[in-house]
Amino acid sequence: MKNTQNSLGAYLKKHWKTVVFLVLVLIGIGIADQFVNSFMRRLLNLSAIYTIVALSMNLVNGFTGQFSLGQAGFMAIGAYTVAIFTVPVGLRSTIFYLAPMAPLLANIQLPFVVALILGGFLSAGVAFLIGSPCLRLRGDYLAIATLGFSEIIRIIFTNTQTITNGALGIKSIPTISSLWWTFGIALIVIIACFLLINSSYGRAFKSVREDEIAAEAMGVSLFKTKMTSFLISAFFTGIGGGLYAALLGTVDPKQFYFTLTYNFLLIIVLGGMGSISGTIIASFVVTLGQEALRFLDEPMAFGLDLPIFRPGLRMVVFSFLLMVVVLFYRKGLMGTNELTWNFIANKYRSIKSRFTKKAASAQGGDSK
Amino acid sequence: MKKSLSLLLCLALVATMTAGCSGSSTSSDNSDVIKVGVFEPLTGANASGGELELEGVQLANQLHPEVLGKKVELVVADNKSDKAEATTAAARLIEKDKVCAILGSWGSSLSMAAGDIVKSNKIPAIALSATNPQVTLGNDYYFRVCFLDPFQGTVMANYAYKTLGAKKVAIVQEVSNDYSVGLAKFFTDAFTKLSGDASAIVSTGNYNTGDQDFNGILTNIKATNPDVIFAPGNYTESALLIKQARALGITCPIIGGDTWETNEFITVGGADVEGAVMSTFFDDTNPPTEAGKTFVAEYKKLYPDRQNVPAVTALGYDGYMMLMDAIERAGSADPQAIRDALATTTNFEGATGVITINANGDAEKNSAIVKVVKDGKFTYLDTVTITQ
Repeated sequence: MKNTQNSLGAYLKKHWKTVVFLVLVLIGIGIADQFVNSFMRRLLNLSAIYTIVALSMNLVNGFTGQFSLGQAGFMAIGAYTVAIFTVPVGLRSTIFYLAPMAPLLANIQLPFVVALILGGFLSAGVAFLIGSPCLRLRGDYLAIATLGFSEIIRIIFTNTQTITNGALGIKSIPTISSLWWTFGIALIVIIACFLLINSSYGRAFKSVREDEIAAEAMGVSLFKTKMTSFLISAFFTGIGGGLYAALLGTVDPKQFYFTLTYNFLLIIVLGGMGSISGTIIASFVVTLGQEALRFLDEPMAFGLDLPIFRPGLRMVVFSFLLMVVVLFYRKGLMGTNELTWNFIANKYRSIKSRFTKKAASAQGGDSK
Repeated sequence: MKKSLSLLLCLALVATMTAGCSGSSTSSDNSDVIKVGVFEPLTGANASGGELELEGVQLANQLHPEVLGKKVELVVADNKSDKAEATTAAARLIEKDKVCAILGSWGSSLSMAAGDIVKSNKIPAIALSATNPQVTLGNDYYFRVCFLDPFQGTVMANYAYKTLGAKKVAIVQEVSNDYSVGLAKFFTDAFTKLSGDASAIVSTGNYNTGDQDFNGILTNIKATNPDVIFAPGNYTESALLIKQARALGITCPIIGGDTWETNEFITVGGADVEGAVMSTFFDDTNPPTEAGKTFVAEYKKLYPDRQNVPAVTALGYDGYMMLMDAIERAGSADPQAIRDALATTTNFEGATGVITINANGDAEKNSAIVKVVKDGKFTYLDTVTITQ
C-alpha cells in the first residue's frame, strides 16, 4: 500500500508539469463549453472527432507501419450503429417511410453511450474479419483490401434499406452539443494511445514498422502485433464515427466515400506519421484552418473586388499551404517527435542559442 | 534560409487569417442591412446544381435589392457538397454573419444536415430544390418552394397511366441516390393505386451512381415486356441506360424525373434520348405566372447566350422572392417574425407557380410540367395537374 502511494507520489513529482497541463486543458474545455458560440462549438467538436479518428489511423499507419485506408468504412459502422439505435422509436416510422425498419430492430433504443461503445466493438469485429486474411500479407495489399472494404461497407449500407434506410439516410439522431463528449473521449483516446505506444505493445508496433524481419527474429509475432494495432484502431474509429453521427444529426452512405479517409490521411501526414501530438495539432489546424480561410471565398476579401475571390479559392489556398508545409517539413509538422516538455525545452534552447550566436557574431563583427 | 522562409509563410498565413476574421466581424454590426444567408454546394460533386440555384437567388437580389427600406445583403457560404461542411457553413451564417434567414441548399441531404441547426437557432430556412419530404418534416423552421418527391412520382404515374395508357411498368432506380429511390417508390405506389393492379410493376432494377453498363438490368426488363420504363436518376447514367435499352431493341417509352433536364443528358444520349419524357418544375417557354415572365425576360437579358432557363434557377428566384414577401409582411427582420410570416404564405405568385405553404412547411403545388426531348431540345409537352 505504502509502495503504491510512494510510486504515485513519485509519478506526480516527475510529471507534475503534465498533470498541471491536463488540469488546465480540462478547465479550458469547461470554460469553452460555457461561453463558446454554437459555430465555434461545432468546429471544436469536429476537430476533436477528427483527432480521435486520425489518431487511430496513425496507430496503424504511423506507428505500426501498415498502410490502411479503411477509416471511412469503420466510421460508417460506428456512425450507423449510433444512428440506428439512438433514433427515438416514435420517429422511426416517419424516417423509414419507404421501407419500414426491420421489426427486429424497430423497437430497440439504446442510450447514447451504449450505442457508441457497441459501434466501436462492431467496427473492431469487422476489422477482425478483414484483418485475419489481409494482415498476413505484406506491402500494399492491406491498403487495397481496406479501401475495397470501405467501399463495400458503403454499398451494403446503401442496399440494406430496412436497416439503414438505404440512400435516404437516417435523420433526427439525438445530437450532442456539449464539448465534454467529444473532448472527453478524445482525451481518453489520446491518453490510451500514449500509454499504448510507450508500453511493450507500442515498442512491438514500432519494431514491426522499422523492420518486419528483424522484429520477427526478436520474437515479435507479426500477425498478432498488426492485429492488435488494427483492432484498437478500428475500435476508436468506430467511436469517432458514432460521435460524428451524433454531431451532425444525420447519416447517409454518401458521407462515407473513400475521400473521407483521405481527410484523415492528410491530417496524419501533415502532423507527422508516428506522432500523437502532431496528429492532434494537425486535426485542429486542418479543421479550423479551412474555416478561417473562408473569407477568401467572399467577393470582397481584403476590400478588393477581384474576380478570383470566388467560392473554391480557399481550397486552392489551403492546398497551396499544404504543399508548402510538405516541402519544408518532409516528415510532417512533428515528424516522429512528440511535443514533450523536453522537446519544448530543447527547441527553446536551440532557438535561444542561435540568437545568442548571431548576436555574438554580430558583436564580434562590430568590435573588429 | 529555408527555415526563415517557412517562418515567414506561417506568419503570412496567420496574418491573412486574422485579417479575414476581423474583416467579417466589423461588417456584421451594420443595422441598415438585412443579411440573408445562401448556403450552396459551390465546390465538390454538386457544384453545378448549387451554382444554378445561386444564380437565381442573385438575379432576384439584383432586381429587388431592398426590403423595408433596407438593403438586402446576400452572404454566400460554400458547403463543399459535404455534410459536415454543410453544418459548419450553416452555423457560421447564423453565428458569425448573423443572417436573419437562410436559402438553400441544393441536395436534400445537405439541407437535412443543416436542419437541426436552423431549428435550434430559430432561424428560418427555405429549401429551393430539395424534394425529399424529410427536409421539412418535423422542422418548423424549414420551408420549401419546390414540389416533393411523392408529388412528382404521382405526376409521372398519372402521365404513364392516363396519357401513355400503360398497364405494365418496369422501374430502374439509382439505388445510391435518395432522390431516385424516393421517386421510384412514390411512382410505384401511385401507379398501383391508379391501375388497381398489384402486379402492375413488372420489375425493379437497381444500379449505383457511376455505373456504365446496364445490360443486365435491361435484359431482365426486356423479358417482362413492359409498356413503359420509369428510370429516375442521374442524367449521365440515365442517358447511357436509354442508349443501351435502344441498342437492345427496347422500344417502349422511357420516362424520368427533373434531374434529366440538363444539356449533358442530350449530349450523352444523342438521338437515342429523343422522345424521353420527364417531369420538371418550370417551363421557360410558357411561364405560368406574370412573375415567371419577368423572371425569364430578366434571365435572358443577363445570360443571352444560354439556351434555356434551368428550373432550379427559377426556384432560387422564387425562394428569395418568397422570403422578401415574408419579411415585408412581418414588418421586421426578426427571424421569428419572418418564420411566422413564411408559415402563413398564401397564394404567393412565384416564377414557378402560385405558392401556398402548408402545415409541413412545404409549397402546395398541384401541377408539374412534363417535357419531352424533341430534335435535341427539351420541349414543353403537358402540364399535369393532380387533385388530391
